[in-house]
Amino acid sequence: MGYEPLANKNPLRVLKIGQESTSEMGLVMARPGLGKTALLVQIALDSILLGNRVIHISIGETIDKTRAWYDDILRYILQEESVSKPHELIDMVQRHRMIMTFKESAFNRPRLEERLNDMIMQDIFKPNCLVIDGFDFESTDRGTLEEIKEMAETMSLQVWFSAVCHREDKRVSSMGIPAPCHEVDDLFDTVILLKPDGKKIRLDIIKHKGKAPETGVDLDLDPTTMMIKKG
Amino acid sequence: MKRDLDKVRNIGISAHIDSGKTTLTERILFYTQRIHAIHEVRGKDGVGATMDSMELERERGITIQSAATYCNWKDHDINIIDTPGHVDFTIEVERALRVLDGAVLILCSVGGVQSQSITVNRQMTRYKVPRIAFINKCDRTGANPPRVTQQLRDKLGLNAVMVQLPIGLESDLEGIVDLVIMKAVYFDGDQGEKLRFEDIPENMKAEAEEKREVLLDAVSMFSDELMEVMLEEKIPSAEMIREAIRRGTLSLEFTPVMIGSAYKNKGVQLLLDAVNDYLPCPTDVENTALDLNNAETEQLVTNNPADPLVALAFKLEDGRYGQLTYVRTYQGVIKKGDAIINTRTGKKVKIGRLVRMHADQMEEIEEAGAGDIIALFGVDCASGDTFCDDKINLSMSSMHIPEPVISLAIKPVDNKAQVNMSKALNRFGKEDPTFKTFVDHETNETIISGMGELHLEVYIERMKREYKAEVEVGAPRVAYRETINQRAEFNYSHKKQTGGSGQFGRVGGYMEPLEEGEYEFVDAIVGGVIPREYIPSCDKGFRKSLEKGTLTGSPITGVRVVINDGSYHAVDSSDIAFQLAAIGAFKEGYAKASPVIKEPIMKVAVEGPSEFQGAIMGSINQRRGVIVGTFEEGNYTVVEAEVPLAEMFGYSTVLRSLTQGKAEFTMEFSSYKQVPKSVSEELIKAYQEEKKNK
Repeated sequence: MGYEPLANKNPLRVLKIGQESTSEMGLVMARPGLGKTALLVQIALDSILLGNRVIHISIGETIDKTRAWYDDILRYILQEESVSKPHELIDMVQRHRMIMTFKESAFNRPRLEERLNDMIMQDIFKPNCLVIDGFDFESTDRGTLEEIKEMAETMSLQVWFSAVCHREDKRVSSMGIPAPCHEVDDLFDTVILLKPDGKKIRLDIIKHKGKAPETGVDLDLDPTTMMIKKG
Repeated sequence: MKRDLDKVRNIGISAHIDSGKTTLTERILFYTQRIHAIHEVRGKDGVGATMDSMELERERGITIQSAATYCNWKDHDINIIDTPGHVDFTIEVERALRVLDGAVLILCSVGGVQSQSITVNRQMTRYKVPRIAFINKCDRTGANPPRVTQQLRDKLGLNAVMVQLPIGLESDLEGIVDLVIMKAVYFDGDQGEKLRFEDIPENMKAEAEEKREVLLDAVSMFSDELMEVMLEEKIPSAEMIREAIRRGTLSLEFTPVMIGSAYKNKGVQLLLDAVNDYLPCPTDVENTALDLNNAETEQLVTNNPADPLVALAFKLEDGRYGQLTYVRTYQGVIKKGDAIINTRTGKKVKIGRLVRMHADQMEEIEEAGAGDIIALFGVDCASGDTFCDDKINLSMSSMHIPEPVISLAIKPVDNKAQVNMSKALNRFGKEDPTFKTFVDHETNETIISGMGELHLEVYIERMKREYKAEVEVGAPRVAYRETINQRAEFNYSHKKQTGGSGQFGRVGGYMEPLEEGEYEFVDAIVGGVIPREYIPSCDKGFRKSLEKGTLTGSPITGVRVVINDGSYHAVDSSDIAFQLAAIGAFKEGYAKASPVIKEPIMKVAVEGPSEFQGAIMGSINQRRGVIVGTFEEGNYTVVEAEVPLAEMFGYSTVLRSLTQGKAEFTMEFSSYKQVPKSVSEELIKAYQEEKKNK
């Protein structure tokens, strides 16, 4: 691919995600408007630069809006880093990414599995990573998530979710993972919480690859550019 | 005849294919008593809809050319442009939008916001056209106006709110509840011509109250008066609400949603009322012109009949009595017998006849004031030309014209056809700027190019029918392009000694890829190694080389040529010598600059039932397509992809058989991209073969 050097510059690299071909479940949590989608898109782009194929599932969003996220963040990367043939990079990203959008009511696990199998069987697109934005944790039972985890394992997929938590909801798991995910936190290998911290937004890594996070991993999300920066 | 501009509406009707634009227009003409019988688009009486005046349109049941018509509803003069729905005819839609003040966006109550609606909406936004939405076909199975309204908000980003509610849906559609006056409206009589106003049925009262609240909430921000009344918890008057809706609509921040079924004669009169009430009159919108005497600075047109004339020719038609030119006036008065000036050519023309059009019947008039849409006879011009009187020199801003992506070789069958064909091509070129034609000097073939297969097909049919020009048609060809990928040097001498004066010129420099733009010529010659007078010759030589690339004979784009060296001979150097030297130099550099072929990539949207999503994606994948994304809602799915045009030929047939005819697709040009190696090799091979066989 030749984009590893670029990928290695990504501050997210310290999390070492997307390198192994084992399945993994990740979760990004934040209150509304703090940049969950921005973080998910950067995780996806990181994975793409490492040569993986990503399906971005947007629930309740349009294709155009989702695409605009990628375009914006990619444009920013191209501004910051010198890439010899920017068009090739843009093309490569497009070929390695697919967007699936669902109306809230049209999304469910069996349908997702059917779509994925459809694509893999016909050799249209074989994803290594799934990003699911807008998944409704409030009205999902544990069973559905377990099924998705199982599916991820059989297809050896990395799956990243985003979830919205609310200030008023004080419920929290023993690990410190807030509602609505406090009862399913054991299903996720990595959990990142976005927290406002003065003028910055801090990435609070609660859980990293099933363990407590290593020290020294300090990341921020710049609220003006929505880009991840080393803290 | 003095016309009150407040009572003039120039509106367009546009939408997705088969949403029933033409049917609706037919009803409007009937209710405004312009026509006395309704003919259906695909009617059994064989007459066809009045607006579909072209034989071909009646046969295919689609509208190709936009027709202009005029009617009068409750004291208001309404000019209607019925615009075509197919994306291949986008230029017609865009042109129509340029001259309109407002538009009705028609949506199918089942299909909702389809890809073409998105395109049309984008165009309307570009030209800042206020619009009202009309959800048609509420009598169809699966009709769901609230869902379509939600789509208007989600997909088009419009602040769309229903101002009506249906009484019953699908085959039970009985009437409409008007939320402004809070009455139920029924459409009696054989053709729904008698309106009956009743109280809202008991079982709908609660829903109507609730929806009215939503409406009032949404529009109150456009009217302080209404806001006040609502804060005082009084009941606002219908006029007050209408005024607020009108203000919101004009500011493009609100889109009232109307419903009905044109086919079942429901809701059309209310839509006409809404056109009068909510859409702008010519003075409500600002139009700008470019002042040609003043470095093309923008200038507002006044709409004032007392000012000098400014009028835009937006459409040409070849009628029985010569060329018919559709014109929209922006200020001043246009009179029979006046002499006006075409600002593009500077020529003075005299207006012989002035008519108001009604599809292909017309009505003679003496003069027309600002804001009107009329047609002129016997005026020679191209579409997009501006007419002024001799006091000013303005041009209405130029229209956005896309490049053609597909071409066909055509050959007349005999001599007679040859003459007719050139007449036809000349005419079409004037009518439609996206239709281009040229003669390939190497093959002596006539090449026509346009925006899609159907686009060209229609012109070939018209040639046959209207001009009696039978032509043989070659296979459609994609308009490939060539470009270079790296910098390359050249240094070429052109020498010829043939006795008498010889030819000599040497050109040195380099070429490199140009990210944006087609061609750039940089003169970096110092010390006069190439004399000044021969620099343009070099440029000319390079330009000639760009016409035909060496790989596939396609035009070359995206090249910057820099010359920085050369030599000349006092006697033997000439214009032609340097042109030939430049051609040679280009050839030398081009071979080293790793030239590649680029092909047009189309943005394709396929819509259909979810069960076929797999099949649809498979079919796109087989066509070298890149799937951008999918969208699912209920049992309905859209697949968006980018596919090379070369792979899209015959796709409609394939798609139909894959999906039992339940899916449809639209495409529009997206960009040029480099073709993959394997395809590129094939193209080059085919071009070499072709050259050998000549």
